[in-house]
Amino acid sequence: MIILGKIIAVHSYKGGTGKTLLSVNLAATFVKHGKKVCLLDLDFRAPSLSTVLKIEKAEYWLNDYLNGTCEIDKVLIDLSGRIQNKGQLFVGLANPATEAMREMSAKDRKWEMRALGRLLALRNSLLNDRGFDYLIFDTSPGLQYSSINAVVSADLVIVATTLDRSDVDGTKRMLHELYDLFEKKTDIILNKFLHDVSSKSGKEEMQTKIKDIYQVPLLGIIPCFCEVLKGEGNIIFAQERPEHPFAKILDEIADKIDNNKT
Amino acid sequence: MVSKQEVLGKKPLHILEKIRENLEKLNEKMEVMIELQKHGRKDIQPLPEAPLDVMTLLSMPDHLRKTAMIVCRLGRATAEEVAQQTRRARAVESAYLNQLVIMGHLKKERKGRKAYFYVDRESQG
Repeated sequence: MIILGKIIAVHSYKGGTGKTLLSVNLAATFVKHGKKVCLLDLDFRAPSLSTVLKIEKAEYWLNDYLNGTCEIDKVLIDLSGRIQNKGQLFVGLANPATEAMREMSAKDRKWEMRALGRLLALRNSLLNDRGFDYLIFDTSPGLQYSSINAVVSADLVIVATTLDRSDVDGTKRMLHELYDLFEKKTDIILNKFLHDVSSKSGKEEMQTKIKDIYQVPLLGIIPCFCEVLKGEGNIIFAQERPEHPFAKILDEIADKIDNNKT
Repeated sequence: MVSKQEVLGKKPLHILEKIRENLEKLNEKMEVMIELQKHGRKDIQPLPEAPLDVMTLLSMPDHLRKTAMIVCRLGRATAEEVAQQTRRARAVESAYLNQLVIMGHLKKERKGRKAYFYVDRESQG
């Protein structure tokens, strides 16, 4: 059987680059476009999807799935009822309890190897058997086991980066010393951009600059929107403010991924 | 009813199959020895089990990582199946796969004439 779905890992070198915000809004954008999407929180050190999506309690967590104590169906929460679009949204959460975070950070290599096997198995169980169009992994920044497991399992790695000097240098190193080694298709999103890219020439100039720096395709440039920051993680712009420029840029990014045009 | 001629006809065929099977085994062993010699290793005893986690994959030489990644993805594969994905020669993949077995990262299982390589994720310890 041909599997048409795609696994996307959203990763970054540094924290605070906007991975979770991008993951949630990208998932919501795909749903808006009529896709069946599964968003998974693989940031076991600082879980945040439960807060962003305002889900008080889950019966099973992704921690349980990776521990091999339950199947993925038990973990997934159907949020399709919350949205007005024709698509479907499911989420799998990381357990935000301190004890769970501590436990996940103390796993050994053998456990991580099994966890990789269980992540790789999602291709069959979710993309193939349940017909999801996209699985989106929100990850921890940097070189963490859970993040590299996500990168290895993914078809496309989206790297969220800013123009912060240490982020640029670290991202460049990761591109050559991590994603390249695993032969992963990697695209960049420049987030929290402070300069004006409203003019066509300004945008093109910046796109050329970013491509020169990283030598990988650029999915999009997202300016630093005060409204997004003021939203304090409470607003999913792709759903609640579809006319906002942030939502419009995500529409373009989702189209590029859908059409494989980067 | 099977005629005598048919039985006699099958016997040489069976012997030829056996010879081919043994030659393939011999070939695999020679490939491993060549590979080990290339990397300056004298012992051919498999190392204790070494989990094939992502950090191990990262630290591997490029040629072995490519092979190991395919087995990780497929779960279980023959040298032929790995070669189809990497577009390298079957014999080359066979040597790399056997080297990964010796390094303790993969397990090998024979089924008839085919040798399957897999990541042992289920064993305890």
